[in-house]
Amino acid sequence: MALIRNLSMRSIMLNMKKVFISDVRGLNSEAVNDDLPVEMENPYKKEKRQCILCKLNINPDYKNYRLLSQFQSPYTGRIYGRHITGLCKNKQEAVEREIVKAQNCAYMPYFYKDKVFLKDPRLFDPENPVRSHRF
Amino acid sequence: MPSYEIAMMIRTMPKAELKNTLMRVSNCIFDRGGIIRKIENLGFRPMPYKTSAHGIVHREANYFVLKVDTGTNVVSDLKEEYSRDVDVIRQRVYKVNQESTDQCSLEEELLPPAYRKEVQKMIEVGKTQVNRFTFKFKYNSGLDYYPFQR
Repeated sequence: MALIRNLSMRSIMLNMKKVFISDVRGLNSEAVNDDLPVEMENPYKKEKRQCILCKLNINPDYKNYRLLSQFQSPYTGRIYGRHITGLCKNKQEAVEREIVKAQNCAYMPYFYKDKVFLKDPRLFDPENPVRSHRF
Repeated sequence: MPSYEIAMMIRTMPKAELKNTLMRVSNCIFDRGGIIRKIENLGFRPMPYKTSAHGIVHREANYFVLKVDTGTNVVSDLKEEYSRDVDVIRQRVYKVNQESTDQCSLEEELLPPAYRKEVQKMIEVGKTQVNRFTFKFKYNSGLDYYPFQR
């Protein structure tokens, strides 16, 4: 009889404890929620870098040979590479394609830069490429 | 009908004759069922390189661009026609560029090599290949002789 009483007492105590814990937890979760870190985007995230043609939304065209001649060396007439011009892959490809077209149409010379355009503003510095090259 | 751009260099000539030449050039297109959307005059200017056409060396030209809609089979015909025209120094036909909607990929390209998708793919491909430098012939391959030059 004593054993049974003991058991029942124990079970009651356990149940009470459970209830008590759940009560405290519930209270706690409500209290803590205002103090939790807030979900937000990284405020220190850097702005996405874009190449100059993408930024200004320019599609190179073979008729605009003045723009294209800015990507041409004044000494040899060759097209500067991606590590010098700082363009993204697509735009560099487009520029190269359009320059070849313009040269074919006799809008642009092959081996030099048109002297009228020599004093045009420089979009990049060929002396300071992004990656070093062997020249 | 796809749209084309015909870049055309016409030899130096007085304005009245130039008009006749342009009429002739555009009539070629109309005869074959094409449409001219626009004729752009890029002006009379010295060419960046001298060009000889029909036995004469040209150093200046009148630059024109015709924006044309024609059938694809007509283009070669037009080219042939213009190549026989004495007043046309040089002509090129290009398809009109589609507006590209690609996003700028400069940010991904500037990442260190290990983070670039391109390089990761290359490494994956390299793993499937036999490394020539560390490959060693196995003698239990079933051949009773060494198959390579020693």
